[in-house]
Amino acid sequence: MRNRAFCAALLLAIFPVLDAPYRVAAPGYRYEFPRDFFAHPEFQTEWWYTTGNVKTADGRAFGFELTFFREAVNRDASKQGAWDLRDIYLAHLALSDLDGGHFYHSERVNRSGPGIAGVDSAGGKVWNGNWSAVWKKDGSQELTARSGDFEFDFTLKSEKMPVVHGENGVSQKADGAGRASHYFSQTRLATNGTISVQGKQFRISGLSWMDHEFFTHQLSADQTGWDWFSIQLEDKTELMLFILRRQDGSIDPHSAGTYVDAAGKATHLRANEFSLTPTSASWKSVQTGATYPIAWNVVVPKLMITLSATTRLPQQELAATSKFAPGYWEGAMQFSGKHCSADILGVGYLEMTGYDHPLRWTK
Amino acid sequence: MTGRAKLFWRLMVRPIGREPVRMGLTILAVALGVAVVLAMDLAGTAATGSFRSSLETLTGHYNFEVTATGGVPEEIVGRIATSPINLAISPRMEDFAVVAATKKSVVLLGLDLVGEAEAIHLKSDDGASPSAPETENIATDFSADDSIWAGSSLGWQKGQHVSLIIGDRERTFTVRGTYDDQNQPAIVMDIAAAQRTVGRAEKVDRILIAIPESENLEAQTRQISALLPAGAEIRSAGTATDENRKMLAAFRWNLKLLSYIALIVAAFLIYNTISVSVVRRRAEIGIARALGASRSDVLLAFTGEAAVLGVAGAAIGVPIGRVMATGAVRLMGATVNALYVSSRPGPIELGANSIITALVVGIGVAILAAYAPAREASQIAPIEAMARGRREFLMRVHSLRDLTLAAIFGAAAWAAAKAPAVGGKPLFGYLATLLAIVAGTLAIPSVVHAAMKLFGATLQRTSVAALLASRSLLGSLRRTSVLVGALATAIAMMTAVGIMVGSFRTTVIQWMEGEVPADFYLRPAGNSSADRHPTISAELADKLATLPGVEAVDRLRAYQVSFDGVPTTVAAADLRESRKRGHSDFFSGRPAEEVLNELRSGDAVVVSEPFTYKHKLKRNDFISLRLGTSLASFRIADVYYDYGSERGFILMDRSAMKKYLPGDAPSNLAVYVANGADPAAIRKEIELAAANYRVLIFSNADLRKQAIVVFDKTFAITYALEAIAVFVAVMGVAGALLALVIDRKRELGLLRFLGASRAQIRRMILAEAALLGLVANAAGLLLGFALSLILVFVVNKQSFGWTIRFHWPVAILAGALSLIFVATVLAGFYPARIAVRLNPVEVVHEE
Amino acid sequence: MISLRNVIKNYHADGQLVRALNGVSLDVAPGEFVALVGRSGCGKSTLLNLAGAMDFPTSGEVFLDGISTGAQDDAALTKLRREKVGFVFQSFQLIHTLSVAENVELPLLLAGNPSARKIALGRLAAVELNDLDDRMPHQLSGGQMQRVAIARALVNNPKILLADEPTGNLDTTTGAVVLDLLKRLATEGKVATLMATHSMEAAAIADVVVELRDGRIAGLKRK
Repeated sequence: MRNRAFCAALLLAIFPVLDAPYRVAAPGYRYEFPRDFFAHPEFQTEWWYTTGNVKTADGRAFGFELTFFREAVNRDASKQGAWDLRDIYLAHLALSDLDGGHFYHSERVNRSGPGIAGVDSAGGKVWNGNWSAVWKKDGSQELTARSGDFEFDFTLKSEKMPVVHGENGVSQKADGAGRASHYFSQTRLATNGTISVQGKQFRISGLSWMDHEFFTHQLSADQTGWDWFSIQLEDKTELMLFILRRQDGSIDPHSAGTYVDAAGKATHLRANEFSLTPTSASWKSVQTGATYPIAWNVVVPKLMITLSATTRLPQQELAATSKFAPGYWEGAMQFSGKHCSADILGVGYLEMTGYDHPLRWTK
Repeated sequence: MTGRAKLFWRLMVRPIGREPVRMGLTILAVALGVAVVLAMDLAGTAATGSFRSSLETLTGHYNFEVTATGGVPEEIVGRIATSPINLAISPRMEDFAVVAATKKSVVLLGLDLVGEAEAIHLKSDDGASPSAPETENIATDFSADDSIWAGSSLGWQKGQHVSLIIGDRERTFTVRGTYDDQNQPAIVMDIAAAQRTVGRAEKVDRILIAIPESENLEAQTRQISALLPAGAEIRSAGTATDENRKMLAAFRWNLKLLSYIALIVAAFLIYNTISVSVVRRRAEIGIARALGASRSDVLLAFTGEAAVLGVAGAAIGVPIGRVMATGAVRLMGATVNALYVSSRPGPIELGANSIITALVVGIGVAILAAYAPAREASQIAPIEAMARGRREFLMRVHSLRDLTLAAIFGAAAWAAAKAPAVGGKPLFGYLATLLAIVAGTLAIPSVVHAAMKLFGATLQRTSVAALLASRSLLGSLRRTSVLVGALATAIAMMTAVGIMVGSFRTTVIQWMEGEVPADFYLRPAGNSSADRHPTISAELADKLATLPGVEAVDRLRAYQVSFDGVPTTVAAADLRESRKRGHSDFFSGRPAEEVLNELRSGDAVVVSEPFTYKHKLKRNDFISLRLGTSLASFRIADVYYDYGSERGFILMDRSAMKKYLPGDAPSNLAVYVANGADPAAIRKEIELAAANYRVLIFSNADLRKQAIVVFDKTFAITYALEAIAVFVAVMGVAGALLALVIDRKRELGLLRFLGASRAQIRRMILAEAALLGLVANAAGLLLGFALSLILVFVVNKQSFGWTIRFHWPVAILAGALSLIFVATVLAGFYPARIAVRLNPVEVVHEE
Repeated sequence: MISLRNVIKNYHADGQLVRALNGVSLDVAPGEFVALVGRSGCGKSTLLNLAGAMDFPTSGEVFLDGISTGAQDDAALTKLRREKVGFVFQSFQLIHTLSVAENVELPLLLAGNPSARKIALGRLAAVELNDLDDRMPHQLSGGQMQRVAIARALVNNPKILLADEPTGNLDTTTGAVVLDLLKRLATEGKVATLMATHSMEAAAIADVVVELRDGRIAGLKRK
């Protein structure tokens, strides 16, 4: 799945589904690129989610997150003015200054309006104000964002084909038709560019990961949160793993993952084929009161992968500024362990939701 | 030192207490003078100085704004939002709604309720954060065009339905929530609904932008400027407010200066009071001098007495001024709205500064006015202590010297009147007024002298009272002339302003004869003021044009623009009809048809006289105007007389305006009835056709009447200021007569011995009052005429740029002067009563 | 002409009751010249004021030409003064803003007499000041001023003349001239004259000298 379903949840809390029927994610969806890089307005919720670990030439490390959300709120065909509300566009931006020990984040909510935010398939652009992701003719992507604290301009070049998660084109999240999403990732994006933070500019390079997911109303009421990992190992393999936590403390059987080998071939992992186990290391947020486990053990027996996940910056929590949104933790991680009995290192991101309070669903 | 203080107390302060009525009147005069100055200062600050457009509400921390005539194309919002500058924006629709139930006008704001902060966090402009509009269901609410969020001071409840008139439509809205508006009421809508409600599709009225302060700020604004079409501009937020404030400065100046008249009159009274004190206490002063008081002690004592009066007056004046300010703000606010810009007066703030200013002004004026008599007192020789009895000999009048000085001041006034304005303010005009008053004051003793001689000679055969009165006044000529001077100055200012306003009024009425040719005029029922131009639906105009009996319908569309940093109105009209009917008079003297033909080309405009005056432009000059997305250049084809707007008017043909601003909703309609058709029947037809529109229909006569009503309302405050000054002067007359009575106690008693009846004594005092009033009226009228020439042709012209044709408002002046005369005579009643009640035996008693 | 019957007059001065006249009875016939003598505060001025209808007795009665002043209202008393009473004062009491002639004609003007100026000029001639009619009072000497005052007092042909220390502000020689004039005119006009004075020279010309002491008549000498 992808984390940000929870964001969808918060959006849903504000914008309940009107009677307009939205399409639900169903098996058999045929992906087509570059079409599917862009908007799917017939689905209610959609996001583009890029995270990455980058470094300057002299080793100063940063993590970043830039996420665009689209949430359909109205499909009244009689209102076609530029300002008429059809979709709400939400965006999150974060920078983890891992050596400086700072975490910066900000968010944006807009309607598309007269070009304020939106998705332009023809122009290859997803944007919210002056935060944007632009797909170039050569297949590379340009990521630009600026806030009061920092700004960055990155060029992302994918080293592999997009990977579709789940089975038969759907990533099932709960029992029942439609409780699912269409979910694909670009798991290895070579990243180059600049970061300016507090007036200082850094030239960086590194690895990014991009998720794109679209669906209508995928989770079920007893799911209280999730933990999601993206892992990019030195041997050019990647892992996406998530567990859905339930009210009774158990792990939902719809938890799943994907393994991508060095050639880009994807293998679906079921809930019983991996384990994600928090260690005792934790960090308590002053702002939200939530306690997050910040060190995990990752085991995928079938692939002979054993990793321990740690972070250099415990406070990568995006505490919500709006009373509607819950806080969540989304941070740059480093991995070390074994893959097929060889020592291995990796980088990636961890997202943890539902720790401040259980996610609440409307309806 | 304590000895001196005692001396001061015994000889100077204590006597004040002995004549409570007269001293009370003097103190009250100072109090009123101070009160008026303070009130106008406070009201001026509230209504104009701290003027803010009522649209400057919920403007948050934004430091720049993008504006364009007729609205900014909405795609500019996207362009700015996506520009690589760290900024926040607030695109807004801005208009006014009239609450149908109360007829009150409220600001209507269309805000991007999604984009502006997350959820809806509206920030008030002073940085405090009013609570967000409460809403449960933004999605549904947004989708509804009838959703409004109401400022808490409107007192509306969530869920309430409210009928609002916007433009020419009345619609019902639902209050979806309220927010704490900190007493700056506004109705908030989502921008999408607002666009539809005010009928300005694809435009936003203003884009507010917040850019953090940095050294790049200028470069960043240039970057934004580059994103804009030629017709739009980026400028500091609230520039319009600043421009309006600047424009209001002249208006405020004039009122401020008028407010000093009452104080000037009070100065005359102080002068008189101290003079009387000096005359009465000649012996005491002589004694004090003989006992070793120095000249400066005496000078100090009498200026001290004046200062005491000044302090007392100012102390009483401050609270009176505060009360007056409340009324003044209302009057000024009405004027500002009618003539300049829709505004919201700020709160009246009685700060330490205002109070200190009032005290300094009151005490300063008192001391200044007292200086001459105090100096005279200091010249009194100790030998005078020995003088037997006190005699006020006939004052010698230095007629020649005074009249020569008067002539010099008069000439200086003449010269000052010829000088140009300084920075848009008629400073020399004011100086000329002041010099003319000084000249008048200098000439008044001679005038009074001549008048009394004349009256005495003429009247002595008819009435012994008149003889005695004129002789008594002649006998105290210096005092008398000061009082006549005070009253005459007040009357002169009143006459001058009366003549100016009357001339203006007549000019406007005559002008309307030519400029208001249509049979009916329509405007939207929604809020309109000098800077707001709500529109009428275009289809209504079309419908009216097809009515049988209607010969033609003229459409006028007006926009608010900023020209050279000064707010101005640019308008477009069908020039066919007005050309046929009106006899617009142009400066060039060319026939209207010829001038208006030049406008058909679309690159020429005609402008109003105040516009050319303000911008120093003339016929055939070129002006650049931001219209829609373009920056267009026009030739001034001609200049026309206009008294409708002080802001200035630029008029072009409708076809020309449409090139830049294609919207065809008119601001006003003029309906011409065909020859032979019955106007009453046509009016019914129009009313029927407009039944679903909230428009106001005026017949030609209605419109003129309404214009005059607005005109009169505008000058209400001027009249109030005049009235107070005259009141102070009349009070001075009462006080002075009282002094005369007290000083002539013995004479009055003697008259009783000689067989005078009480009635004769009373008549005598009243005759004195009447003579004072008569002379003051005559002198005031004369001086007022001179001042009115300065006001009409210098001050008015330089402040506002209007050419006013001189006109005597005979009826009003006659009425006002008679009223003042009667008031003056009435002011004699109390002193007359005192005179009649004197016991002759006591006052003539010789031991 | 002047008749006082058991006149008592009380004043309130500084809260204290002062009895200025205490049972005075006095008659002055037409043409009779009576001098009132006595120390300051003995009641001379009070008596004059009562005799001039400027004041009323506390008890007793004052008859002027047979009319009791106590029974009259202010208008009637004013009329009485205008027609029958003339006053002369120690300090002349001329109105400084009026010329000599105007001062003299003032009582006639107040009485509404149309030929005031003519009569006034006649009176001025009688006091031998006919060439000073246009002067202002401050241009006159003390004696001239008092003569003007006498002319004014007699301009309305009064039946009663009341003079309060008419020579008090004049030197002896001038005083004598003024007194002679006063006496002559009073006698010619058959005026009942009551003159308060300190001076023995002045009293000497009177037909009757009445001495007042503590508000009572202490002595009455007829020539």
